[in-house]
Amino acid sequence: MVVSPQAQRMRSPDPAHSGDIDVAGAGMPIRQSSLWRDARRRYMRNKGAVVAGAFFLGLVAFCIFVPIFSPYDPDKVDFSQAYLSPSLAHPFGTDQFGRDLLTRVALGGRISIAIGFAATLAILVIGLTYGSISGFVGGWLDNAMMRFLDALYGLPYLPFAIITLAIVGTVNFWTMVIALSIASWFTSARIVRGQIITLKENDYVRAATAVGARWYRVLARHLVPNTLGVLIIAIFLELPGVILGEAFLSFIGLGINPPDASWGSMAQEGRQVYRTHTNVILIPSLAIAILVLSANFIADGLRDALDPRTKET
Amino acid sequence: MALLEVDNLQTHFFTREGVVRAVDGVSFTVEPGKTLGIVGESGCGKSVTALSIMSLLPQPPAKIVGGSVRFEGFDLAKLSERDLEDVRGNEIAMIFQDPMTSLNPTLKIGTQIMETMQRHLGLDRKQAKQRAIELLEEVHIPGAADRLNDYPHRFSGGMRQRVMIAIAISCNPKLLIADEPTTALDVTVQAGILDLLEELQEEYEMAMILITHDMGVVAEAADDIVVMYAGQIVEQAASLELFDHPEHPYTEALLGALPQIEGEGIREGRLTAIPGRPPDLADPPPACRFAPRCPFSDREDSCAKEPPELRQIRSGHWVRSAHPASERTREPAVASK
Repeated sequence: MVVSPQAQRMRSPDPAHSGDIDVAGAGMPIRQSSLWRDARRRYMRNKGAVVAGAFFLGLVAFCIFVPIFSPYDPDKVDFSQAYLSPSLAHPFGTDQFGRDLLTRVALGGRISIAIGFAATLAILVIGLTYGSISGFVGGWLDNAMMRFLDALYGLPYLPFAIITLAIVGTVNFWTMVIALSIASWFTSARIVRGQIITLKENDYVRAATAVGARWYRVLARHLVPNTLGVLIIAIFLELPGVILGEAFLSFIGLGINPPDASWGSMAQEGRQVYRTHTNVILIPSLAIAILVLSANFIADGLRDALDPRTKET
Repeated sequence: MALLEVDNLQTHFFTREGVVRAVDGVSFTVEPGKTLGIVGESGCGKSVTALSIMSLLPQPPAKIVGGSVRFEGFDLAKLSERDLEDVRGNEIAMIFQDPMTSLNPTLKIGTQIMETMQRHLGLDRKQAKQRAIELLEEVHIPGAADRLNDYPHRFSGGMRQRVMIAIAISCNPKLLIADEPTTALDVTVQAGILDLLEELQEEYEMAMILITHDMGVVAEAADDIVVMYAGQIVEQAASLELFDHPEHPYTEALLGALPQIEGEGIREGRLTAIPGRPPDLADPPPACRFAPRCPFSDREDSCAKEPPELRQIRSGHWVRSAHPASERTREPAVASK
């Protein structure tokens, strides 16, 4: 939930308690402070999260803008330029086909990050649907759905992704998204279910029922929006896992096909020459590491900002 | 015809520890435009009675096992969930105890007020907004038009209860159930809320059920009073009659626990607390449920053997006790228990 306990606990004397006295301006809040402003203030206090956020945004901006302004064609093969060391012309050097690594790593980042976000979104949508139905309906259905989930929990995530890719047969953006989300939405479903069950006991849910709100309205208006805070945190908690998964699949050759690149497939190309041309494997690996690390820090900061009860400041 | 007739209502909770008879044979009527006060300690079935009327109890574990709740002649217990939704908020509205948690923190105040009217009265957004402003003005929230766009955390407890009241009266209900509407509020705010309720009741010609553990609250607001103990009604009378001539030892004790600062014959010294605590409703005393705490009962008389009936001791004054004040022959036992 998103409301700060400070705000909930705040009980100023009620200026409007004496019914007929209407003091102009009485009852106006003294401090103008919104939910999101509070959250942003708390986030900004977490230095690690702020730095991580800057890194994250910087990396995303790098991936978006570098290919646009780069003078090099990312797919043009020129063996005379192969394996150049970092220089002014090629800050990160070139790969085996003489392609500029700076441009390539930005292009690969586009794909890695896009797949990461798309798969995370898919995970959350599935998890939200499954979890909220289970938690809201309750009773035997909840029981059945959770036991089914327990069974699915046994499925190892990456082998299942590999099998999915093998069954689908083709590898493109969307099949990668499916493969990465199909066996990793279980945790988010559990989180949402737990959240819904807690929220269901809230007085305002009972109050909504007491004024005649139908069940779908209660669910859509009063329960799901209140899980928003946890969901935003969950996005950044899931993201590193998904991006690592994509990198892994590409690294073992099941991911994005050449000439397209993702960080995983670029690292794979660099693996063959890591003794002589370390930069070719180092650059995409560093990019993955920075992204994953900053996503984790961001998740941490968001948790403090949006769910402050877990850590009193 | 009475607006609401509750007849021999029995609501039980089926728990692992056994059947809890939270409400055990409660009957009363509410006349249009009148206020009925339900008083009693915590855990004596007041709120469960109210929630049973609205069919708002989670089933299971709760179940209405007997009796009927008739609203304008229709048995509410027999309505489908869908029909009940049309009654709730529209014909019967309810205010809850804790205004701090009764509003959704993610929706604007205006949205929460308008939703109910759009749902029941079929108003469009513009009409609903207009009406919402009027309602906020009626519950005396300053700057109503601006405050529609505020989120609940910008409101204090008393203000939130006013918003809850605005939502409750928005569809012009015939009956308003107020379940301890002032308990969670500061004392200074309580009086304002009660005044507001009374004012609105008159204006909207609503009947009201006022549930409270505070005798002072019902004394001011209620026309009739029902005193509940351990899931049963122990005394029932018009407000003045009950305060002037309390009959049941429990009512007397409740009044004795009330601080007085003015008036004739004020008591001095410490307030008298009622010894003991309400019985476990999974296993209540076999006969009179108040007997273990009653200063007038002893082991020899009927209190421990047969349950007393609710009987009419004077016109309109009902009591469930073998030792009502006007028939008492013995002195209260010394507090030796």
